[in-house]
Amino acid sequence: MAFAVIMPRQGQSVESCIITAWNKKVGDSVKVGDVLFSYETDKSAFEEEATVEGTLLAVFHEEGDDVPCLENVCVIGEAGEDISAFTAASAAPAGDAPAAAPEKDETPKAAEPAQSAPAAAVSSGSSEGAISPRARALAAKTGADISRAVATGPEGRIIERDIQKALDQGFLAGQAPVSAAAPAPAAAACVCADGPEYDEEALPNIRKVIAKAMHGSISSMAQLTMNSSFDATAILAYRAQVKACAEKMGLENITLNDIVLYAVSRVLLRYRDINANFVDDKMRYFRHANIGVAVDTDRGLLVPTLMHADTLSLNEISAEAKTLIAEAKSGSINPDKLTGGSFTVTNLGSLGVESFTPINNPPQTAILGVCSITRRIKTGADGKDVSYPAMGLSLTVDHRVIDGSPAARFLKEVCDGLEHFDLLLAK
Amino acid sequence: MPKSQFVDPKKAFEKGFIHFEDIPVCQYDLSFAEEKKIYSRDDLLRIYRDMSIIHEFETMLNEVKTKSSYNGVEYNNPGPAHLSIGQEASAVGEAYSLGIEDLTFGSHRSHGEILAKGLSSIHQLDEQELYDIMKEFLGGSVLSVVEKHMNTGGSVKELAIDFLLYGALAEIFARTTGFNKGLGGSMHAFFIPFGIMPNNAIVGGGVPAALGAAIYKRVNHKKGIVVANFGDGACGRGPVLESMNFSTMDQIKKLWGEGSGEGLPLLFNIFNNHYGMGGQTRGETMGFDFAARLGAGFNPEEMHAERVNGYDPLAVIDAVKRKKELLLAGKGPALLDVVTYRISGHSPSDSSTYRTPEEIQAWKDADPIAAFGRKLTSGRGKVATEDELAAMREQITTRMTEIMKLAINDEISPRMDLEKDPEAISSLMFSNLHVESMDPDRESEMLLPREECPRIKELSTKIRTAWDESGKPVSKMKAFNIRDGLAEPIIDKFYEDPTLIAYGEENRDWGGAFGVYKKMTEAIPYHRLFNAPISESAIVGSAVGYAMCGGRVIVELMYADFIGCAGDEIFNQMAKWQAMSAGILKMPIILRVSVGSKYGAQHSQDWTALTAHIPGLKVVFPATPYDAKGLMQAALNGTDPVIFFESQRIYDKAEEFHEGGVPEGKYEITIGEPDIKRPGKDVTILSIGAVIYRAMEAAKILEEKYGVSAEVIDARSIVPFDYTKVVESIKKTGRCVIVGDAVERNSVMKDMAATIGELAFDYLDGPVTVVGSRNWITPCYELDHMFFPQADWIIDAIHERILPLPGHVATHNFTTVEKMKRAKGGV
Repeated sequence: MAFAVIMPRQGQSVESCIITAWNKKVGDSVKVGDVLFSYETDKSAFEEEATVEGTLLAVFHEEGDDVPCLENVCVIGEAGEDISAFTAASAAPAGDAPAAAPEKDETPKAAEPAQSAPAAAVSSGSSEGAISPRARALAAKTGADISRAVATGPEGRIIERDIQKALDQGFLAGQAPVSAAAPAPAAAACVCADGPEYDEEALPNIRKVIAKAMHGSISSMAQLTMNSSFDATAILAYRAQVKACAEKMGLENITLNDIVLYAVSRVLLRYRDINANFVDDKMRYFRHANIGVAVDTDRGLLVPTLMHADTLSLNEISAEAKTLIAEAKSGSINPDKLTGGSFTVTNLGSLGVESFTPINNPPQTAILGVCSITRRIKTGADGKDVSYPAMGLSLTVDHRVIDGSPAARFLKEVCDGLEHFDLLLAK
Repeated sequence: MPKSQFVDPKKAFEKGFIHFEDIPVCQYDLSFAEEKKIYSRDDLLRIYRDMSIIHEFETMLNEVKTKSSYNGVEYNNPGPAHLSIGQEASAVGEAYSLGIEDLTFGSHRSHGEILAKGLSSIHQLDEQELYDIMKEFLGGSVLSVVEKHMNTGGSVKELAIDFLLYGALAEIFARTTGFNKGLGGSMHAFFIPFGIMPNNAIVGGGVPAALGAAIYKRVNHKKGIVVANFGDGACGRGPVLESMNFSTMDQIKKLWGEGSGEGLPLLFNIFNNHYGMGGQTRGETMGFDFAARLGAGFNPEEMHAERVNGYDPLAVIDAVKRKKELLLAGKGPALLDVVTYRISGHSPSDSSTYRTPEEIQAWKDADPIAAFGRKLTSGRGKVATEDELAAMREQITTRMTEIMKLAINDEISPRMDLEKDPEAISSLMFSNLHVESMDPDRESEMLLPREECPRIKELSTKIRTAWDESGKPVSKMKAFNIRDGLAEPIIDKFYEDPTLIAYGEENRDWGGAFGVYKKMTEAIPYHRLFNAPISESAIVGSAVGYAMCGGRVIVELMYADFIGCAGDEIFNQMAKWQAMSAGILKMPIILRVSVGSKYGAQHSQDWTALTAHIPGLKVVFPATPYDAKGLMQAALNGTDPVIFFESQRIYDKAEEFHEGGVPEGKYEITIGEPDIKRPGKDVTILSIGAVIYRAMEAAKILEEKYGVSAEVIDARSIVPFDYTKVVESIKKTGRCVIVGDAVERNSVMKDMAATIGELAFDYLDGPVTVVGSRNWITPCYELDHMFFPQADWIIDAIHERILPLPGHVATHNFTTVEKMKRAKGGV
């Protein structure tokens, strides 16, 4: 029986993906686990592995094609099999796909794994997700969610009755599980002495996306950057304190960036123009501080979102940020986590940058750059000059919707909060 | 032992001596003048010509093998060439006295024998008969080549010589225009219309077949004698010695019905060339000194054994003529030790390290053709001139060159095109015919009319179901059981097919060791149902020869464990001849083998895998009276060799499955068709043989205790096997266990499991699991349950490998860890 491979929906907000490379061509034999093709969303790269064995009978999209999610990409089956029933569009109609399903429908489902956690533990302790061909076929036919099936077969194999049970419990495949991290592409070849002067390489799609976004940002906005700094003595002391007690207290390894994120999260809500998106002459004022955290990855810049940061403690922010950064770096991040931000914090401080002009991440209206700490002199209350650690902050705002003064006030408040971090912690 | 003969202890211990008659050694002593009174000039020249043709034919093959060229024609022949240069006089001398109806079975080194017999037959047949034979053979395909390309000046006899040389050579070169379409090759060429029966690459392999042919002639009252040609090396082979013993057994003269007093018309003809490959028989690998001495060991007549000079064609003619007269007078069998020498090595790769150049030269100096030529051309009584003989030899060389050119021409003599016709060999593996009687023109010889046959009368009183109308089990004495299911079509066939004979150990008065033939002796004449000596090779090998001649035969090995004793006869002879003969031969042989129980390591083995492995055999294993009868009927009506497995554990089982019990009338079950014995939907149990009853027990427990509905399929046949029903079942159940009594490793079960894995992969919910016997020796009966699969093993295997059963606790280890451990240990 021929089996169509669809373009997975890598997150509810993703409507299409670009095929970046084909690893198999029509006529190739395919084993379970073979990488069929690589593809990218606007933020992440993935590899699609075969889940059935057979021959690649048809390919409906070429490298570089932008394929709507859930559309057929290719067909695997037995050589010579009739595949006339399959066309590029014969998967679930994209328009009716549950992409637009209200969020509340998702909530109970999201809670399910927690409820069935013990069972899941049983199946994951098994022979690594083995599933009988018959069970797999049943899941493919009925749309049952294999990941929710609790294996009861020998050696932890998922067998037919397990899929049937998952079906009976209503576990249908909605969102496919995120596939394993794609290995980073090999580094570009170095220019050899007797080789050509340069190597010309097409940009990876992610880089193309970034390029387009950056240029779009700078060309469509009136960007205004202002620089300031604050006395980091308090936050450095605080960090040293946390570091000393982290293990005992069960605290995260809280970084300076986490501290800045915390400060921003506590200040943002009072500046609704700054905690906003500007789209088509309309402002979307956010009720929570959804702070984008710019992450430098092998594939380029990614900005996962720290949702509802205003409701999180410093420790929670630190933990969440670490998770997001790790996921972004590994490339396994759910693209949904790359959207929804109301403000962004970007940090070049660790690289010694003293001040810079961050570029806004549209449709957000502002971005805060965190700079390095330098020693500065200031005159103390006693009239004496003292040296202190000064951390720079660079704020870029979209001047179309934010004037200089409110931006400066916001920046000042963040600086003040960080200088008196012990007070801010009360918030 | 027949009841009619009394074993008297007094006689058994009587004093006395065993006397031997002298065995003549090279006693032929006629002068040429005397010989000329017997042979005409033409006869003598024909003898010279025939020897020269053989010599040239072998010389050509030797040149091709060693120099890739003969007489300027280049060719590379990768196939074997076991040549008989030096043995020409022996071959021609033997064939000279044999008629068309006399059959020769060739040795390992048989080119000369084939040509000699062919040339002799061509001389004897009249032109019309000869032409008709050639025209009819394989649709005239061989004839048309020589007719078109050889210039024979309108002589049918000359055309026939070309036909013989070309048919044999094309066969040796594996061409479709060969006598067996190139499927037999050098050591298997034959041509039945000239009385040339199959030759054998297995040393001595043709001897049991010759025995069977002699039995065929004897019991079916056919004219002529049979000659088993073999070398002195073959005298060390069990099947040869078994055949000698079998052929001399007393019952043939003393007990066999019509034609009583007649022995077998069989001549054991040893072409004693002094070597068995490199082993020197006289002086090294044998102790008989003279091969003729063997005759003294087998019967009081000493098999009329005689040693003759095989370098003198006229001495051989004289000896064969006398032996033939003896055989036709019913005094057989006979034995000749024809002394000759193999100038050519065992094969062209033989560097003759085991003999001296002086020895070879001495025999070359004694060359029979040259010597015979000198005899014809010297002295006052000469019958020809040197020049005449030289011209004859030159003509032969020219002819051989032309024949060779034809045989190596890929256009005229193509090889089988398996790309264009991929089924060409497949279609020859079985004949798949339906022939109720192999000789419908003849009445069956029987001692009683059908209605008076005690067994038929008894069968008519049997109750043909396992349970009576009230549901109570029918008593074992009254129930129609598996042995009855086997017996019914067999006794019917004895009345229907006059050629049918049955033999094996304890087949007659005993009624077969397990009672299948009981109460048949009263109705079947001795020569159609008899006790064979404990000679499994000869039993099966003679059945092959019997079938080659056109007879139908049932032979029995009593225990499947004895398959090894008849290994060559089952694996190389019975299985191969239909295809090796390109479909010319049919093999309607049923080999009954019984799987023992209670008898330990050497008497309780299911060896289905050994026979199923060999292409060319059909293999069945029924486990119910209905199936036993239907499959036996199908085997008896067919023309293919069938290994008929039976199980001693269940001979007395009544029919538990078939609706209405076992029908009284005739019916066939198609060989290859499995049967669903119990429908179900959750797991398929495919059962091979007697274990079906344990599979049914497991199905019952699965249903009652675990709510798992098992579908039980009885394979019934092993080769061929139609997987349709099994795959359909697995589509439904998704699970499959295969059970059988054979040891698991390399069993039929494993083969079926692999095939099912391929055919039904997408439908499987777990691995196809095999539950066979342990890879051990079979222990004593009391430990049977630890060795043979039991119902609880099947349940445990399902639980541990396929479908864990809630609440079930396994007591046998079918886990993959255990499997790995056992495999690693080789157990």
